[in-house]
Amino acid sequence: MKTASIILNRNLPEVTEKLYETIVKNNPNNTDVFVIESGSDEEKLSKCTTWWANSPETMKNGLRFPRGFNYALSKLFEEKKFREYSSYFLVSNDSEFAENPFIATLQEELEEHPRVGILIPCSKSWGEKRIIGERRTRYFCYGEFISWFVRREFMEAIINYDPSDSKEFFFDGNNFRGYGCAEEMIAKGYANDWATAITTKVMMRENEEHLMTKADLIKTESINENMKKYIREGREWMKKKYGFNYRWSMQVYARIFYDKFFDMYPIYKDFRV
Amino acid sequence: MIEERLRHFTNKKRATLLGVGPMSKNCIDATIDIANRYKIPIFLIASRRQIESEELGRGYVCGWSTEEFSKYVRKKDKHGQIVLSRDHGGPWQNPNEVAENMSLRDAMESAKRSFQVDIESGFDLIHIDPSIDIHSEPCLDEIVLRVFELYEFCSEVAKKCGKKILFEIGTEEQSDSNSSLDNFEYSVNKVISYCISNGLKPPTFVVGQTGSKVAEMKNIGTFGTALRVENEIPAEIQIPRVIEICKRNNIWLKEHNTDYLPDEVLAWHPKLSIHAANVAPEFGVAETIKFVSILKEKSFQTELDDFYKLSYNSLKWQKWVLPNTSCSMEDKATLCGHYVFNRPEFKDIKARVNSKLGSGLDLDKELRLAVERAIMRYVVNFKLLD
Repeated sequence: MKTASIILNRNLPEVTEKLYETIVKNNPNNTDVFVIESGSDEEKLSKCTTWWANSPETMKNGLRFPRGFNYALSKLFEEKKFREYSSYFLVSNDSEFAENPFIATLQEELEEHPRVGILIPCSKSWGEKRIIGERRTRYFCYGEFISWFVRREFMEAIINYDPSDSKEFFFDGNNFRGYGCAEEMIAKGYANDWATAITTKVMMRENEEHLMTKADLIKTESINENMKKYIREGREWMKKKYGFNYRWSMQVYARIFYDKFFDMYPIYKDFRV
Repeated sequence: MIEERLRHFTNKKRATLLGVGPMSKNCIDATIDIANRYKIPIFLIASRRQIESEELGRGYVCGWSTEEFSKYVRKKDKHGQIVLSRDHGGPWQNPNEVAENMSLRDAMESAKRSFQVDIESGFDLIHIDPSIDIHSEPCLDEIVLRVFELYEFCSEVAKKCGKKILFEIGTEEQSDSNSSLDNFEYSVNKVISYCISNGLKPPTFVVGQTGSKVAEMKNIGTFGTALRVENEIPAEIQIPRVIEICKRNNIWLKEHNTDYLPDEVLAWHPKLSIHAANVAPEFGVAETIKFVSILKEKSFQTELDDFYKLSYNSLKWQKWVLPNTSCSMEDKATLCGHYVFNRPEFKDIKARVNSKLGSGLDLDKELRLAVERAIMRYVVNFKLLD
């Protein structure tokens, strides 16, 4: 079965097209690639645009990754294409991959690990690569969203389909910028018997230079301003939704399900960190 | 006895114990006052630079020898709440051993003489850290052998003195990779096995890497940062792994470099089962900041300039600043003010300030209160109070 690769773009057509080409060129047979334009200006739509989210609010603020991928996934659902794919590769357009068939590698890894719901290509700048070691893939209860390879069965276990509002389809779009969102998804995964793994079999690089040097082009805040809002709004969301006042609460919450997962599936204990 | 007391206290309160660096006399006094006022055990963790035996040249804090420091604390500590502790004892931990380019044998002997005075002077906790070697990069097994030698020596001295002491092992310098965590557990196992097979009391504490790191006036490690630190293992992953190793080996985790972590992170320490945490430079800086603020408030510009010059010229700030730092000369002087508190030039500045203040303001009381406030932040967040 194929993978639906979904790229999230806002006003960076060239960057998006380059990533699109990298995916298509290296993985011609095992993925369809979709691009969600998160409030991009009309003249900055990429050549490979699939959906253009362009409500006034989206044009002003963008969708960010939780709402952006929710939008795209719910479109696939609406268009009855959702079940055509066994996995979804949710990719920020500033992700960079090596020139090799990385989608096939991720698909194989998902097959190798039947209880993994979220598979995360390791970033070259993450310390985790040092603890993953020779196993190349290990299960974590902490992760970050940059690009996620998600199994359909896991997604089906948690999606909320509301044709009038895609805001909570997969991620909780009430958490606009998504601070704490990754931990929440990981907790939901383990709570539903799906692990989150980080693999070094596919490495990626997040090119932060785009956000640092082209914030005005993207029509977003500067990286510092964005980070401040990311943390502040995420913490407000966490408090409102869970009554958690700090990120460690969310982390301990995820860890409870993580520990339980290995009680239920002791055969995967070797993959625990 | 002391261990039972600490265990009883932490079992009852589920608190994180606090280690305070004796940065100055005011800091020592503030620590003793708080410990006695609230009846809570607090470690006074003296490095060999701060407090050293008479024979080995004394330390920079009040110019006190180990013997004088111990005597002073014991006299003031009416309820016996202070756990006198040697922090990072071991070869080349005294700057003179480095300056004299001592051989391993000589540095080990010097470290032993320092430990001997610690124990004879009534120190309760000895941290053995032979991780420094100015001549080579010893492998883990060599370091462990040095720990054995020093551990056995200290145990014998304690036995001869009829004293029961606690031990702390490890260093915060270890890295955080998988192999390093394996090494961490390996060395903990080795030391414990050695103790058991030689009839010695196993260590109570081990220093573990939790992702705390101090530079300038902030904690730049992963523990206190809401965002990922490049190439570092997130504290969310690292801390549970370190704690698991400690639990497995029945040893308490002691965090070093806890300074400047925000309240919410400190409040998580007891919940995360971090048994103890050391804080040092923050308290020295708190005192300096207060001193500077009084001088500014009173417009004592000459004294302020003299202090900045004295402190800045000591170059002690170099250890604390980040590469490409944006710290001003004043910031740098503030970072290391406590290193010059015992210099005659500082005493002269302070005397001039006191003379100008007259009876209107008790300078040392103000400084002590500033340090107390800084210490209380930890006392409260570590749930040391009822």
